[in-house]
Order: sequence, then C-alpha cells, then structure tokens
Amino acid sequence: MGKIHVVTDSGSDLALEVKERLGIHVVPLTVQFGSEIFKDGVEISVADFYAKLKTESEMPSTCQPSPADFVAMYEKIAEPGDTIISVHLSSKMSGTYQSAVLASTMLDSSIKVITVDSKAASMGLGLVAVTAAEGVQAGKDLDEILSDVQHVIDHLQVYFVVDTLEFLKKNGRIALAQALVGTMLSIKPILTLVDGEVAPFEKIRGKAKALKRVRELILEFQARSREKTIRAALSHATAPEEAEQVIDALKLVLPVGGEVVVGEIGPTIGVHTGPGVVALFLCAV
Amino acid sequence: MDVINGVTLKNMLLVAARNLDQQKDMVNALNVFPVPDGDTGTNMSLTLNAAVKELERAENNDVNRLTTLLARGSLMGARGNSGVILSQFFRGFSDGLAQVKAEATGEDVARAFTSASNTTYRAVMKPVEGTMLTVARVAAESAEEAAQEGKDAAGVIKAALLGAQQSLADTPNILPVLKEAGVVDAGGQGLVCIFEGFWAGLTTSPEEMEAILAEQQVPSEGPVDVARLETEVLVNKYCTEFIILGEGIDPERIRKKLDPLGDSMIVVGDDHVTKVHIHTDHPGEVLQFCGELGNLTEIAIDNMMLQNQEFSNHENHRLDYTTDNVVGFPQPEPSAPPKPVGLVAVVAGDGLAEIFRSLGVDQVVTGGQTMNPSTEDLVTAVNSVNAESVIILPNNKNVIFAAQQVKELVDKKVGVVPTRSAPQGISALMFFVEGDSLEENVAAMEDSLGEVKTGEVTYAVRSTVAGDLQIEERDIIGLAEGKIAIVGSTPDQVAFDLVKTMVDEDSTVISVYYGADQSAEAAEELGTTLQEEYPDCEVEVYSGGQPLYYYIVSVE
Repeated sequence: MGKIHVVTDSGSDLALEVKERLGIHVVPLTVQFGSEIFKDGVEISVADFYAKLKTESEMPSTCQPSPADFVAMYEKIAEPGDTIISVHLSSKMSGTYQSAVLASTMLDSSIKVITVDSKAASMGLGLVAVTAAEGVQAGKDLDEILSDVQHVIDHLQVYFVVDTLEFLKKNGRIALAQALVGTMLSIKPILTLVDGEVAPFEKIRGKAKALKRVRELILEFQARSREKTIRAALSHATAPEEAEQVIDALKLVLPVGGEVVVGEIGPTIGVHTGPGVVALFLCAV
Repeated sequence: MDVINGVTLKNMLLVAARNLDQQKDMVNALNVFPVPDGDTGTNMSLTLNAAVKELERAENNDVNRLTTLLARGSLMGARGNSGVILSQFFRGFSDGLAQVKAEATGEDVARAFTSASNTTYRAVMKPVEGTMLTVARVAAESAEEAAQEGKDAAGVIKAALLGAQQSLADTPNILPVLKEAGVVDAGGQGLVCIFEGFWAGLTTSPEEMEAILAEQQVPSEGPVDVARLETEVLVNKYCTEFIILGEGIDPERIRKKLDPLGDSMIVVGDDHVTKVHIHTDHPGEVLQFCGELGNLTEIAIDNMMLQNQEFSNHENHRLDYTTDNVVGFPQPEPSAPPKPVGLVAVVAGDGLAEIFRSLGVDQVVTGGQTMNPSTEDLVTAVNSVNAESVIILPNNKNVIFAAQQVKELVDKKVGVVPTRSAPQGISALMFFVEGDSLEENVAAMEDSLGEVKTGEVTYAVRSTVAGDLQIEERDIIGLAEGKIAIVGSTPDQVAFDLVKTMVDEDSTVISVYYGADQSAEAAEELGTTLQEEYPDCEVEVYSGGQPLYYYIVSVE
C-alpha cells in the first residue's frame, strides 16, 4: 500500500504554514504583466504582485500550468504504487484542471492520479485540499478521503465582496454577474459561486454594509446547519482589517477549538478580483 | 329644475371643470406641508379635464353613457392621490346612474352621490376623516335627506353643495394637522369647487361661467397670485399640445425655455417620446423651439376663448398636423423575447433617471415632485415594457395610488412596491433579482424599504408652523422621511443639519443627490464636509437633476 499525496495549484491561496504542516504540494500558475511572466509564489510574492498591480497600466493575465508542469510535480513527489489526489480550480474558471487531467494520462501507470474539480477557487479550493490532506494525516483510506472531499465540494457556501467589478469583468469571469456591471452607483455586490462560476448574490451599497451583511450570512448559515460542525475559511486581498471583522463573526459560530483557515489572495486569484476582496467559505460537515 | 337630462349633465361637468381649473392654485395653496409639490388642485383639475374630454366620444346624450365615459376618462387621467380618489368618486357616481337614460330625478342624483361616496371610501385602505372622503360623504347624506323631503334634482344638488361646504369648513376640527397649518383640506376644497360647478352648470353655460369667474376676485387666503388668476382668462389662450419624437430630449430644458411663454405647462416623457402641453399666446414660438429638438407629431392647438360653446365643437378648432401614427411610447422590438419581470420607475430629474436606468429600470416615467404622472402615463409605460409582468416603483407617496390603479387597466401582471422616495426606489432595486418571480421580487423589495432613510431639502412656499418650528415663506426646509425637521437659510447648511438627524451608529452610506438648481461644486463641498463629520460612513455625491429639491439625501 503506497502513500497518498495531495497536490493543488496556486489558486488555493493556502498559507505557507498550512501547506507545510499538512504536506500539500502546490503547482503554480503563471502571472503575466505585459511581457513579464512570473510563477505565482515562486517568482513573485503577494506583496510585490499588488504593488505591481497599482503601477502597471496593463491588466495582468494568468496562464494555467502545462501538463508537463504537473507531470514533473507528480513524478517528483510520488513513488511507484503511490496515489495522488490532485484538486484544482473550478474547470469553469481555469484550464488548470484540464492540464492536470492530461498530465495524469501521461504518467506511468504505477502512479495513480485522481484529479478533482473543486468547483471553487481561493480558500474554497484550499479547504478541499486541506480536507484531503487532513484525511491522509488521520490515516483514513482513499475512499473515505474522497467522500469527505466530495462532501466539501457539494456543500461549500461562498460569499465574497469585491471593491470593484472591473477585474472580474475584464477577465471575462463574470458572465452571470453581468447584470451588476455598468451601474452608476458604487455598488459593492456580494458574489457567490454557483456550480463553479461567479454569480451575483446580493447588491449592496457600500462596503461596510456589505461586510455587515456577510456577518449576518454567517449566522444564517449557522441556523441552517444545526447539529453539524462548521468549517470555515477566509481569504482576503490587502484587506486585513476588514477580514478581521468577518473572522470575529466566524469565531462565534465555530465549535470550541475550531479554527478559521485564513489565507491571503495571491496573484492567481488576485488578477481576476483585484485588491480589497474579502472572501468567505463555509461548509457544514 | 325637476330632472336632469344628458345635455344639462354635460354642461354641469364642463362648468365644474372650468371652475376647478380656475381655482386650482387656491386649492394647491392648501397643502399642509408648504413644500412646492403635491399639487392637489392641479392633480384634481387635470383628472377632471381628462374626464370631460372623454365626453366628446359620446355618440348620444344618454345620461348613463355620459357617466360611463366620465368614469373611464377620470380613471385613465387620474393624477396623484387626490386625482385617483376623484376618479373613484366618478366611478361610483356613474354606477349610481347606470339605469338612467333620459332624465335623472332628485332620487337618482342622491343615489349617485351616495354611490360615489361609498366608492371613494372603498378605494382607500385606511379612510381618514376630515379629508375629501368626509366631504363626499356629508354631501351624499345631505343629498339623500333632500331627496327624501321630495326635493327635485336641482334641490338635491344644492343640498349636496351646502353639505359639502359645511363639511369642508369642519375639516380642521377633525384633522389636527389642518388646524395647525391653518387650512381646510385641499382635496375637500377641490370637491367643493366641483360641486359649485355642478350647481352653477344647472343654469349657466361654460362661457357664462368663464365670464363670471373672470369678474370674480378669487377668494384668496393663501399666497395665491390674484393678478395672475385674473389675467389667466385673457392671456395664454391657445392650449397647445404635441409630442416630440427624438432621442435624449431633456424635459427640464424644455420647461425652462417654455416657462416664460405660458402657463399650465406639462412636459413629460421618456428617452424617445416627450409630451408637451402648455397654454400660451405664442404657439408658434413653442412649436419652433421644440421642432428643433425632434420630430413633432399629434399637434393640437385649441383657442380656449372660442372653444367653450360646446365641447363637441372641439374638433373644429383642432389643427391636426399629425405626421406620424406613432403615439405614446414606442413599442419594443417584437423580435426580442419578453423578460419575465420588467421595471417601471417614476423619477424626476435626468440624473436620477439615468441612475434608475443603470440599475435595470426599463421605462422611466418623468414625474413625481413637480407633476404626478397620470394613471394613463403609467399604463402606457407598463405596456411599452417588453416583459410578461412589470413592477412599478412610484418613488413618491402621491403616485403610489395611481400606480396601484394600473393593475386593473393592463393585461400584464403588475406589482407595485410602495416606494415613497427616489432613495427608497434605489434601495428596492438592490433587491431585485432577475429570474425571480414578480411576487418574490415585490416581497423582497418591500422588505428593503426600511433599509434607507430619506431626507429632502426644499423651500417653503408659504409661512406656517410645524411642531415647534416657525417657518417663513422662502425659508429653506429639510424634511426627514417626509416630515419637516430643519429650517434654515441655505440648502447646504440645512442638508448638513438634516443628515445629522438621520445618521446613527448603524449608518454606513450617505448619498447626496443634488438638484437641477444646485451646483456640482456646492454638492461636492457638502459631500466633503459630511465625509469629515462621518469618517466611518461612505459619502457619495451624484447629480440627481431633480427640480425644486436642492438636495435629496439618503442614509443607510
């Protein structure tokens, strides 16, 4: 019986400490500013990215890892007989999952790769990867881990607030949220993910009000999730104080000893959402 | 006069319409709040005028045919709450005479007044005594009493008039707000004007009435401009009406340009169609100016001095330069599939109209503060939206009632979210979800109404006392949720003080919509001052372009 490894991509926004503690391997996407290309987290830091976002006139873009990048990662971490759970950004948002699927067919059959479409992004994907890695550490068998992973994917509730819809719009990641674009008032919508895509949840005027509403949504989620344990993750883009407000609200609904998994939104996601984002991920297990 | 036949009835209605039209400024001056809007007299007069205009369609002078047309005309022409109630009055009046063809007896007339009173009471959800409802009821009671005493038709009408006058004088004793403001109920006064016209119309023709009214020094207690009333019958004799077809026409600009040319001006429209109505001595200048803005159609110029012999002669004086069959709002492209739920909003001001459109409103009906749109304007707008069902945002307390009337007049399913201000309308739109049903959306939008507080800054049109506040004419006043809260001398200071009464610890957004007469610089400065005062709130400043109101502010 070989080992089970967990691989994700840089769209998961997992903090270094979490990745190291749980042994999660991350394949970076690349971020491109004009002709400059950086591997997320390897060649550009979160701080450098947002600084550059302010000064560069051109909108950056991202590029999925090549299948070869995945093959290289898989071969580096796995021995023959091992299994890899490879969880990735929603296939509706990125070709990363597709690359991983291709890579899995290019490997020697002695390494088994199970590719998983998380239908999420940022810490939502992060939470799926964490669930898998915790299962591995707890010594659960593969079927049980995959069942846990599927449960999180199916029950993940996402709410996020952006400062501006410009980034989502320019990158074409907001097909369903189109209705919100072009309004004259400064609306801070609460967005969600529906079946792996960005969708509008509520229109709110003003960020403070939007964050207040997010805190209410936490309580509503708790009310719907009686008798269950809530798992929560949060990520933010250069908005630590606003994130803190939401974390305080989260602490009230988490079980004793429960922890909010917090991450900073890195370049991969930040390219599409811009600065000032606060994103909340909830799941009842 | 023992009985009333159709010819007399028509005469009574025409004289009533003339009388009310002459006295509408006096009725307007009776508003409890001295704000430059909510013109009860204008609304009732326009409603009645629309109703008597419908009488032209009568192919005979059967009493019940005439009253049916009267009811229909008033329903479609209803403007403002008082106009809607008046239309319900005529609806009931018509029901009461449904069986009468040739001649109405005193009993018939009394029954019509009673039916009219009952219908007005049923029309409002919470009837308030001391209003035109009371005046209508007391008039009906007096009429019934007279009929039982065996009085003839003329006697019954006289009794109704006397009852109405007494009841009107009593309204300040029933409604404390009237007493405080030192006025009688405006709607009740409008009804008395109509009954006076009924009485006079029994024996007087409209043109004789015109002469009498011209002679009369119109009784004026409020700030009624007597000189203007007197001259009104001499000048501005051409009633000029037409439609301008063209994109991006600014009704406010037309109003400013035409204002010196005449009176009784109405300019309403949407992006593509603008309706203009004005009484002027210079119809040529009016047409020339507006002709430069777009294509004119449905042009009608009536000489009001000559037109009163018989309303049925009306057509003879009508210069009809119809160039196009397009009337009202353009129909949507038939190829596009209808949306499940469309949106219509009533908004005054280009800036606010633009904001409402950007939030997904399909048709903006201009109106609200200066001019309440008629039920027909709303019906037209609803019909022009390519949607299976339509939600109306009245955005003014005086339009809600007219909007609710639309439900009965169109084939589409219509929902009304009773928004009382533009900010409430904006707040409601935040809760509109495309794809949800009409009912779900209306429920969610209604729930949102408490989320936002509205303040308005305008000027007082007359001196009054409101609670502890002594208000002089032309003072700047600030209203919070429709109640006078601040009195001052500059719009900016009043707006600042007003916001202070509205902000609490839960407030997060302060929005300022500045009016047509307010400069962007002044508004930005107000915004900066507010931002300094409330660092925890987001302060946003937009051009609303609304008339009469220097600022509309909202706190949420």
